[in-house]
Amino acid sequence: MSVSQVYQSDKRAMGKIKALLERVDITLDEHLDYTCAVFDEAGEPIATGSAFGPTLRCFAVDPAHQGEGLLNEIITHLMENRLEKGFFHLFVYTKPGSAKFFQDLGFSVIAEVPGFLVFLENRKDGFPGYLKKLEAKKRPGRNAAIVMNANPFTLGHRYLVETAAKENDTVYLFLLSENAGPIPAAIRHRLVREAVADLPNVVCLETGAYLISSATFPGYFLKTEDKILRTQAALDTALFVRIAQALDIQTRYVGSEPRSLVTGIYNEVLSVALPAHGIECRVIPRRELPDGQIISASTVRQAIHDDRLDSVADMLPETTLAFFRSPEASPIVAAIRRETDVVHY
Amino acid sequence: MQILKPATAGTLESSDLMVTLEPGNGGIELSLTSSVMNQYGRQIKKTVLETLERLEVKDAKVTVVDKGALDCTIKARVECAVFRANDASAENIPWGGVIV
Repeated sequence: MSVSQVYQSDKRAMGKIKALLERVDITLDEHLDYTCAVFDEAGEPIATGSAFGPTLRCFAVDPAHQGEGLLNEIITHLMENRLEKGFFHLFVYTKPGSAKFFQDLGFSVIAEVPGFLVFLENRKDGFPGYLKKLEAKKRPGRNAAIVMNANPFTLGHRYLVETAAKENDTVYLFLLSENAGPIPAAIRHRLVREAVADLPNVVCLETGAYLISSATFPGYFLKTEDKILRTQAALDTALFVRIAQALDIQTRYVGSEPRSLVTGIYNEVLSVALPAHGIECRVIPRRELPDGQIISASTVRQAIHDDRLDSVADMLPETTLAFFRSPEASPIVAAIRRETDVVHY
Repeated sequence: MQILKPATAGTLESSDLMVTLEPGNGGIELSLTSSVMNQYGRQIKKTVLETLERLEVKDAKVTVVDKGALDCTIKARVECAVFRANDASAENIPWGGVIV
């Protein structure tokens, strides 16, 4: 028996795979870029697994065929496929009861949302190594953290950072590492660093794969239904708690979220879950312009998209504004214009 | 031999192993998971390290997930992963030399 790819366009086979997953209480994700299965002589799928970016997910083995080593074949196939695509650091989501099978295949547990899912990675020193590197940067006193995409950095972000910097000895500013959308991560980070350079107690760090990445929180980047978003946000929170312990962070600052559904849900989950772990979650109201308009990176991207950067000049620090007016930004501006939807859902 | 890019060889099926090589941070860093760790962990480690030494691999991150493979399988999978990671084409493989 061999493992073969199942194309998303093959509605009949995908329907059978969905049914197989449902028999073991798993819902087929809407966002997948590869699915494979083992079929029996009658052409029915008896084992399946899928991948999305660096993550492996949606596994099921027909109960009548368990114990035949089919999962190992599926994982081998998916790992080879992901390596070909250039993903070496792989992650697995699975139900708490199934984590053991993956541990036998060389995966280590990173975090768990009790009763919902376990999150694993294919290296032993991955998350522990990341935490160790962070610990080396630990500073004494009152510490706070902010996690931001800063896509791009606005005066709203600046206000949030300034508020935290005033109220704490050190602010760890975690910047999303992922390249998502037209503004490359390196540029986003540079604009943040330039704009907070005058605040000596702000330390810029990268989130790596462990906070709001397409591994921990794919719903942040792709439209996903509420219930799944909540589970992903809970997983992200569980990882943040570990990071907070490594850096002795007592407070997390977030900006209030009147518009984006996903960030709204994320804030809601954070404000319930963090205090349970002894971390305060401070929601800072969005900065408004004198005319009552709230400052938002989505609004800024929309303005760049519509070729009216000047209309949002009062939302941006000098550094971000100068960048988007410079010739260096022209390919990025062009990429933003090509996007059909630049507003975060 | 130098590990130029990440590469893998083998499978996770019973009696096999999956070897993944990545460029290292100066030295050999081996991570081993095995279904027969208690009985043969030390022997597997020895075979992997000896094979790497014979191929003069000095700088690599090595991940081995073993499912009870025999020594000859371990040797073959490690060799294969090294040549893939080194981008050595079939003609450049030193049959009869370091590959015995």
